[in-house]
Amino acid sequence: MISYLKKADLPDLLQAWADKMDVLAPILEEGQISFTTWKGQPLDLSANALVSPAKIISPREEILFRYIQESGTYRFLRPDQKPRLIFGMRPCDLRALQVLDRIYGAPPPDQAYLDRRRSAVLAVLNCTNPGPGCFCAALGAGPDADEGYDLLFTDLGNGYLVESGSPAGIVLIKNSPDLLPAVSDLADSLLTDKGRVVGLCRDQVISSFPGMSVERIREGMESAEWERLGQICSYCAGCSFVCPVCHCFTIYDRGVPDGQRIRCADSCMTSGFSRLTSGSNPRPSQGDRLRNWYLDKFEYILARTGLAGCVGCGRCSQVCLSPDICLRSFLESLCSREMTTNKFADAGESKGEGKSIRK
Amino acid sequence: MDGREMRDYIPYQVEIVDIDRVTSDSYLISLQILDREVFRYRPGQFIMVSVFGLGECPISIASTPTRNTLQICIRRAGKITSGIMDSMIGDVLGVRGPCGNGFPLDFMKKDILIAGGGSGFATLRSLINFIADRREQFGNVAVAYGARTRQDLYFMQEYKGWQMAGIQVAVTVDVGDQGWTGNVGMVTSLLDRLEIPPGSAAICGPPVMINSVAARLMEKGFQLPDIFVSLERHMKCGVGKCEHCMIGPHHVCMEGPVFSYDRVRQYL
Repeated sequence: MISYLKKADLPDLLQAWADKMDVLAPILEEGQISFTTWKGQPLDLSANALVSPAKIISPREEILFRYIQESGTYRFLRPDQKPRLIFGMRPCDLRALQVLDRIYGAPPPDQAYLDRRRSAVLAVLNCTNPGPGCFCAALGAGPDADEGYDLLFTDLGNGYLVESGSPAGIVLIKNSPDLLPAVSDLADSLLTDKGRVVGLCRDQVISSFPGMSVERIREGMESAEWERLGQICSYCAGCSFVCPVCHCFTIYDRGVPDGQRIRCADSCMTSGFSRLTSGSNPRPSQGDRLRNWYLDKFEYILARTGLAGCVGCGRCSQVCLSPDICLRSFLESLCSREMTTNKFADAGESKGEGKSIRK
Repeated sequence: MDGREMRDYIPYQVEIVDIDRVTSDSYLISLQILDREVFRYRPGQFIMVSVFGLGECPISIASTPTRNTLQICIRRAGKITSGIMDSMIGDVLGVRGPCGNGFPLDFMKKDILIAGGGSGFATLRSLINFIADRREQFGNVAVAYGARTRQDLYFMQEYKGWQMAGIQVAVTVDVGDQGWTGNVGMVTSLLDRLEIPPGSAAICGPPVMINSVAARLMEKGFQLPDIFVSLERHMKCGVGKCEHCMIGPHHVCMEGPVFSYDRVRQYL
């Protein structure tokens, strides 16, 4: 189903939705764009949020269940999920959710994730203003979405082309006939406009990072000098915390005798992540951990889900404290032989042995 | 795998019904499941054990499904194992599982060599007692086990029973003392003292020990695909989501903890 929304009508549409459920949208707060509950504030669609809206579905911290002690044994309560709509999620973040769906949905499925996923409506906005570090097109994750959304918005200047991608999306369009009128006679020309807008953006993303593909990355990783990279890395784990696909977590309890079992984001980039109580560590060096992170993204997750574990959103490079080894420049070096020999030859003083990808 | 508690992370409740001291710092704890009729498992599987308020950690099942009581062997190592050891008979813990694959008994040969090092022997006790209870289904079975000192040897009072069931048992310690008249040295040193026709092997212990035992077994004619190892890894979820236990592309909690040695030796 196809419709058209005048830009001036967007607040009214959001309000109509907000009357029924929580609406989260990108809003400028304290100098940073973040997905927060919309209560009439102006939206900021000028850039993607640093914290991905995928983290609404796969949050930094959540209560898995509450345990309540009653005469020696326990009673357990799972939190309810409230319905919500996420407006303005970009295709790269939608792709991240599709990867997470396959990981959390694999048997045995993760109920907490799936409940939250099913109770969220995704109103995705095709990207027309990619950031300087974006390379979604190389990974097939953007800049436009082709499936997985409930509603898909494309900015056509004065208004948005609005397409439904699910029964829930059709209902949302039908429920607001004044704001989202049917446009059957204009559909072809609107879709042509969409193709032009999306094509321009795609060209922009590709031209900023030509020649990159998952195949070339995987090929390049064979000869990457992980120990040397590990010595430059600042160990901050920021990359893994802003990555929309990264989902490593730890579980801990808060409270006795009654309390909550909490799931909380963790990072495989930290030294304690794989360390055993005995003190032995299967991935003792930062080089080992970097290598594992990259292999997970471009090999292990790809094998598990059929999709790469990187969506090209560029957030990790945005926060990297050692810009010389941030993912974007690392991948650029992998995808261009000249850069592999030049860029990383002088990157560290010690001579780290290059480890094979298949250790 | 049972669906409910793995989907939503909510554990079953178990009551501690017995506690036996195994060594100075480890207990064998017997558990009675309160809110579940049947608990089916295989030797080599593990469970996620909760102490509410402290958290949850993976623990090998030390008992055999051929006997009634579910048992775990706990050594005081971290916060949660300490919490379990500080619990008393009658206290309620949580259990999710059984997790993992267990030993592939259908694919293993009838002649089995079982080699253990340190606390890794707990999961092998499940297999040994399983074999002892179904002795007629197996051929030549030998156990080689090593610990740091005489005081660290697990399940000493059970060795005689295993031998009476026709299982060869040889033990060794890293450091001998005045009261110890047995073997001193590595587990590999026991392999030449046992009658071990090439069959299948089940190994659990530190990576160094696994590698040296596997190498010696291959010299003795064992085939690489017949050597199975049980791996220990840091785990949080037990269901292949949290990524703590990954070795290469493998989730130890789901694809393991028992692997054929040729699949994982590159990571050890």
